[in-house]
Formats: sequence, structure tokens, C-alpha cells
Amino acid sequence: MIMKSRRKKMITGIELVSTSDVAFLLLIFFIVSTAFVLDMGLPLLLPAKESARQVLRIRQSNVATLKVNADNGLTLDGKIIEVDHIKVAIAQRLQAQPQLVVVLETHPDANYGMMVACLDELKLSDARRVSLKTSR
Amino acid sequence: MGALGVALDFRRRNGRGSAIPTAATGDIAFLLLIFFMVTAIFVKETGLVVDLPRAEAGERIKQDLVSNVYINKRGQISIDDMLVSPQDVSALMGQKIAANSGLIVAIKADQETPYRVVSDVMDELKEVSALRVSFNTMPDGNPGRKY
Repeated sequence: MIMKSRRKKMITGIELVSTSDVAFLLLIFFIVSTAFVLDMGLPLLLPAKESARQVLRIRQSNVATLKVNADNGLTLDGKIIEVDHIKVAIAQRLQAQPQLVVVLETHPDANYGMMVACLDELKLSDARRVSLKTSR
Repeated sequence: MGALGVALDFRRRNGRGSAIPTAATGDIAFLLLIFFMVTAIFVKETGLVVDLPRAEAGERIKQDLVSNVYINKRGQISIDDMLVSPQDVSALMGQKIAANSGLIVAIKADQETPYRVVSDVMDELKEVSALRVSFNTMPDGNPGRKY
């Protein structure tokens, strides 16, 4: 009789041993499937509005003008240049003139992507003094 | 004698309860699960479909101070999932910069966007002194094939 009643109790109980495994599996699923928002970008500090009135005098020889034309062609101080060559060209000029200011002048009809590609190259060449300009 | 007695007692107890109690692991796992579910941040804004330019020198942008400005290749501008005209950018961003002076404006523009639109947006940002800007990019997988 005693044996019988014990057996009955065993059958009515729900198996709880694997709940932790299930919970861990769910946990791992959520950890893996959580897509962390990782945004990359080129940070930049725009000049303040008031600073337009303060004229900063820079020697013309210390300025390199990188132009993005309306047809997305590039010129560096009037000479045609490829995107891949900007880094080396600017790095060379920076070695000769550490005070170099690079003006990135973009035509309004040029593609934004081209301008960012140029900015990326300037960043890679360690040019610290970059000025953005829009052609008129 | 006393010290020896204590030592013997200790050993005996050690032998008895050497198993780690595992009954609560399920509860711990569930608590961790709930924690991760609650802290999971879901994407708040859908923005516009943009093909970001590629860049090698891209840096990680901290998300907590960021406000996104989406610009697609047709020149449409979206802030907080609202399509706005370039003239409205300064008003919207003015409110945001008043609430948070360290605001970073992340410009998520398509690489085929005419630069005119981006330039206009930057002029608007200068109007309200939102000077911290980031041109968002995609990490560049193969440096040789840029743009």
C-alpha cells in the first residue's frame, strides 16, 4: 500500500530539473540576438557663427585647397588628383609645412560621398587644420 | 587539545557538504534573462534609407548625446521620423541644444546626396550653435575600393 501511494506522488510532479537549461538557452539567445547600435562617423567641430567676423590671417603658401568639382573630379591646388593619392600628397606637404591648413572646397552639385571620402583621406594623413567650404 | 578538536570537526564538516547547491541556478538565469530583456534598447527611429559613405578613419560615436539627421539621395531630410525642410532644421535643433548642450548631430546622409543639402543643414546648425557634428560612415572593408 505504501509503495502504491508513493508512486502516485512521483507521477503528479512536473520535471523541474531542465528549467534552468531552458532559461539559459533563452538567455544566450537574447544576448546573441541583441544588436548593439554601433555608429561610426567622422566627428567635426563647426566654426561658431561669430567667428566668421574674426578674420584669421593665414599665409597663402600655407593653404592647400582641395576642390571637389560639380562632376566629382578632384583638384589639389589646381592639379587633378585621385582620391587614393590625397593622403600621400597632403602628408608630404604637412612634413614641409606643419602649419598647413587644408581647405576642402566642395561644389553644391558634387556628391556628399566624395566629400566624405576626401575628409577621410585628410584625417588619415593627420591633417589637423581642415576647413570646409562650399563653392559659390 | 582544544585546537586539534576544532580542526577535526572542520574536516568532518568539509567532507559532508562538498556539493555546490545548484537549486537556484534556474532562478539566477531567469533574473539575468529578465534583466537583459528589460535593458535591451530597441531602435526608436526608422529614419530614411541611406547608403552611408565608406571611411577608414571613422570613429565610434557615443550614442547618448546623439541626434540623427537623415538625408537621402533625393535631398529629403528626416529628424525624429519627421520629414522636414532645410529651413526647419535650425528650429528643431535649437530646441534640442537648449535641452542638451553637449548634443552631437549625426548626419546620416546618402553618399549620392548633393553636397548642397548637407551644406545647407550645416549652415542651419551653425545658426543655433549646434557645432558638434559627425558625418556618419560605414567602416571600410576594402580600402582600395573607396567611393
